[in-house]
Parts: sequence; C-alpha cells; structure tokens
Amino acid sequence: MAVNNVLLVEDNGDDVELMLHAFRKSRIANAIEVVRDGETALDYLMRRGIYANRDPEQPALVLLDLKLPGIDGLEVLRQIRSTPETKRIPVAILTTSDDEADIVRGYDLGVNSYIRKPVGFNAFTDMVEQLGLYWLVVNVTAPA
Amino acid sequence: MQQHHGDMAAGTLPTGLATGLATGSPSPPPGTEPLDTSDAAAPPSPRHLSSLSIAVKMLVCVVSFSLVVTLFQAAGELYVDYRRNLTAIQGHFDEIGHSSLDVIATSLWNVDVEQLQTILNGLLRLPDMQSLVVTETGDFASNLVVRAGTSSSKSILFRDYPIYLPQDGASRQIGTLRAEASLDGVYRRLTDTAVATLAGQALKTFLVTLFLLLLYHHMVGRHLSSISRWLSRYDLSDRRPALALPGKPARRRDELDGLVDSLNDMTSRLTGAYRALAEANARMEQDIVARFQAEREVVRLNEILEQRVEQRTRELEAANEELAAFAYSVSHDLRAPLRRIEGFGQILASDYSADLDDRARHFIDRMCAGAKDMADMIDSFLKLSRSTRGELTIERLDLSAMADDVVGRLREKNPGREVEVTIDPDLSVEGDRRLIGVVLENLFENAWKYTRKTSSASIRFGRGNGKERDHFAIRDNGAGFDMAHAKRLFAPFVRLHRSEDFEGTGVGLTTVQRIVARHGGRVWAEAAIGSGATFHFTCWEKGRS
Repeated sequence: MAVNNVLLVEDNGDDVELMLHAFRKSRIANAIEVVRDGETALDYLMRRGIYANRDPEQPALVLLDLKLPGIDGLEVLRQIRSTPETKRIPVAILTTSDDEADIVRGYDLGVNSYIRKPVGFNAFTDMVEQLGLYWLVVNVTAPA
Repeated sequence: MQQHHGDMAAGTLPTGLATGLATGSPSPPPGTEPLDTSDAAAPPSPRHLSSLSIAVKMLVCVVSFSLVVTLFQAAGELYVDYRRNLTAIQGHFDEIGHSSLDVIATSLWNVDVEQLQTILNGLLRLPDMQSLVVTETGDFASNLVVRAGTSSSKSILFRDYPIYLPQDGASRQIGTLRAEASLDGVYRRLTDTAVATLAGQALKTFLVTLFLLLLYHHMVGRHLSSISRWLSRYDLSDRRPALALPGKPARRRDELDGLVDSLNDMTSRLTGAYRALAEANARMEQDIVARFQAEREVVRLNEILEQRVEQRTRELEAANEELAAFAYSVSHDLRAPLRRIEGFGQILASDYSADLDDRARHFIDRMCAGAKDMADMIDSFLKLSRSTRGELTIERLDLSAMADDVVGRLREKNPGREVEVTIDPDLSVEGDRRLIGVVLENLFENAWKYTRKTSSASIRFGRGNGKERDHFAIRDNGAGFDMAHAKRLFAPFVRLHRSEDFEGTGVGLTTVQRIVARHGGRVWAEAAIGSGATFHFTCWEKGRS
C-alpha cells in the first residue's frame, strides 16, 4: 500500500526528471505517480480506464502543471473540485507561469497552493523539500 | 323735373356714356372687362366700377349743387319779376289817377253813362286790369254805378279813387272809382318764366355735367382704369413694360403723369428689391444645399472615422491579445527550457563534480549564470509588458510604508550591505498599489545597486521641491552617470553601465516611466559621474481625471 503518494501531472519529460531528482535530493520517501496529460490525470484520480483497478487510496497531494496537452491544468483542477470523490484532495499548481489571471483562476477554482518554479535548481530543490515537508508531513488530509 | 333730371344723371347717363366713350380708346370697354379677364388672374373689375362711381358721385354733387343754385336764382328772379309786375300795376293805377279822374268826374256829373262806360272800357285795356267800377256818392235814391270788366279773380290788387268835382274853388266828392287789377296774369307770367328758367338751367346743367363727365373720363377715369388694370396684372417676378397711359398727350404733364412716374419708380424699386430678395433667397438656398451636403459629408466622414476607429480598436485589441499571449508564452515557455538548462547544469555540477575538472566546473557555472541572467531579463521584460496593460486600481497609497517594505526586502537579500536609508514620513499618493510598488522597487533597487561601490552609501526618499503636489525624489550618493546620456536612460534595453560593473537588464527605468505616465506624471533624473543620482517622479500633474 502506497501511503501518502504524490501525483505529478507534468507533460515535459525533462521537467519530470528534474522534479524527481529534486524529490530524491530532498529525501522525500513518498511514492510519486507521474501522468503526462490532464486526461490521464483525471482517469487516475477517478479510477477510470487503465486506472480502473488501482488502489482506491487517493494521493496526498496533486502537483499540477498548467500547460498540458489536451485538457489544461485549470480544467483538470475544475473537474477535480467538482467531483465528490476528488474534491478534497490537496492540489498545488506548480508552474513556470506567474500570469496573474492564472493565479486568480487557480484560487477561484479552489487550488490549495500556487507555486512558481524558481529558475535556480538549488532554490527549486529547497522549494520541493519545503513543499513535501508541509503537504506530506505537516498537513492533515481529509478522511477518505 | 328735378327728380327726373337726377334719375337721368344717376342711372342712364354714365353707363351709356362710358360705353360710348370707351370704344374710342384702345383699352376694352369697362363693361366687358370681366369677360376679357376671365382667364387672367386679375380680379373682375370692381375698380372700374369705383371709377364710375366717382363719376356718379361727381354727377350727383354737380347736379345737386346746380339745382340749389338754380332754385335760388329762379326764386330771386321770380321775386324781382313779381315786384316789377306789382310796380307796373301800381304805375297803371297812378296813370289812371292822373289821367282819367277829371274826365270821369265830368262824365259822372253829367251822368253821361255812355261816356263813363267808354272811359272805363278804355282803362280796362290796361294790362292786368280786371274791373273798374264808378260808384256815385250822394243822397240819391239809387246811386249810379258804372262797371267795366268782372272781378273774377281772388288775387287782386285794387285802388279806390275819390272822384272830385271842382266847384267854386272847392271840390266836392261826387263818387268813387275802384280799379281792380288781377294778379292771375302776373302769376301766369311768373310761372312761365320759372318753367323757362328751370328748363334752361336743367339743360345747361345736363350739358355741363355731360361735358364734365366726358372730361373726367377722358382725362382721369380711363387712365385710372388703365393704372388699375396694370396694377392688378403687375407681377414682381415678371419683367413687364413700364406703365404708360395710352392716348394721353405727353406734352402736357399733370398729376396723373406724376402718379405714373411714381408708380413706375415704386414698381422698379419693388422689382429691384424683389430681385435682390430672390437672389438672396437663391444664395441662401445654395448655402443651405451646400451646408446640407457638408453636413452629409461630415456624417459620412464620421461614419468612416468611426469605422476606422472601430477597426483600429479591434486591431489594437487583437495586438494586445497577441501581446498578452506572447507575454504568457514568454513567461511560461521561455522560462521552462531555461530552468532545464540550469537544473541539469546544477545536477551535473553537484552530482558529478568528482568527474569534472575546474575548467569544466567553470563552464557549467557560466552556463547556469547565463540561464539565470536570461530568466531575470524575461522577468523584467514581463514586468514592463504588464506595466502598460490592465486596469489601474487607484487607491490612496502610503509611499513611506511601501518604501520601507522595499528597503526591508533589499536588506534581506543583501545582508552584507550597509546602506543608510532615510525615508520621509507621511509620503502618500493615489495610485495602483502593484504598479507603484514596481516603481519604488525599481528606483530603490537602482539606488541600492549603484551605491555598491560607495564607502558610506546613503539613500534618501522624500518629497520633490517642484510645484507639483505629487512630486517625489530618490537621491543616492552612488556611481551616478553622465547627464549627456540622460535622455537614453528610459529607453528599453539601454544601459549606461557595463554589466560587469553593475548587472541589469535595461528595462527597469522604462517600466518606471510607463507606470508613472499611466499615473499622469513624469520621471526624470539628475546626476553626475561619481556623485550620485536623483530620480524624480510625479503623479497626476493635470489632476485626476
């Protein structure tokens, strides 16, 4: 049983690799499930398609990129929040965009955190460490 | 008789007269005028009747006046005749008294009745004598009465003569003679005279009136009719021949000629005035047409302009959207690869440092620094782009507090720097919190940056000394710059210092200028190389709109 796993929704392979590297560096032990587009992310969370038979445990945190092929990040967020089984899952938008409209819409749709990826990798690693520490250790998730 | 005369004057004469006379003149007879003008706009001629009625009035006046005069004259003449007749009768009575009394006395004395009768018959032949009676006076049983003629008339004149007989130096009345003259003859003669006089006067009056009427018509009436006809057909817009009176000799000018001249003058002036009016009207019409056209043109141009404005607005909106999309893309898509370059570089440097020599590590270092620089540049570029877009949310801002925050962050970032910062209290302005924050950040960052090589760095933020209400200044004692380049200071991507000396993107002051301009203000700088710089900015120089 994968306890407190993290769902990373990120389409760029390099970014996935960097993110996983940063997680390793920050010694966060949680399992990280990676999906590469919004459709798959929703399938995962709602246990549809190839994820129909997955462990019913929902992730402790969804790290969501905004720029995704097909359904974009904000739409994924909207659907998560409008589905009863997924609406209480903590979602953090993790993106390079600092567009105000995106930030506002993200919060309007009920995002728990909006994080802009810093350019420096060391800063990024620090950020990932803080993120993991808070959401996976400090934060208490809603009961299933 | 008088009544009859009046009827003739009023009823019969003028009509016949006018008709008869009119045939002599070139104008149609007044009686037929209405028929002639039935097709024309001229009204049926009451004016011609009125000219006739003048004649009638004149006629009545003349006739009445001559009637009165005639009556008075006749009365006077009759009276004189009557007196003369009476005087003649008295003369006959006197004649009888002078010439016949002695003979009658003798005959009476002699009782010669035959003789008396003869004498009386002789006397009876005197004009108007009606009867003569001799009556004997005395104490006789029957007094002798001899009579000639009969006293039939009631209107009589009589005289009684006593008949004396001269006897012994005295005279004794022996009888009386009564002579009676009848006035009937006198009256008959007077009547005849009156009839003759009145008839003569009537004839004269008739003739004179006729003549006057003819004269009036010839000299006045027909001309008045002509004038009336001419006037009734007069049309301002039509150029008609001037009024002239046909059949009027030109050599003897009178009031009518004056009237005609005046009328012609007046009509020519009227025509002139009418023409001027018509011209003015035409000009005005043209004017109105021109104005109308101009108005239509203005409307048309306005429409075109509106269309153009709409089109430009759409284009601008499209360009703005494109720019926004571009900025979004820059923010997201350009930064992402930079992050990757930097990230993998860092991993390389940290995880594989054992396998790398110093030179390789230096290159990786430079690579990461380049990526960092580019990320900074993208950030400031985005700031510039955002400073010109989006709605302003204006509120009263505490600049002193905001400046404190900015300085606090700078101190946090650069804990090793010792900079003396003085911020005047109670600085405030109305503005957009985020954008004014960007202004303060940029200006303080600059001051902070360029005092880096100054031994005792100091920055002062306070009110400017200009007339503007919202005038602020940030002074530093840093590197300063050459005022020759002051103009280029605010152009995008222009730097006055080498990036080896002072890092920067060259966009900060451009952003400041854009933001200040959106707040109705200006930004400018005073500086000298080595002795610091002062940046001034104002807001709402022309008031808030």
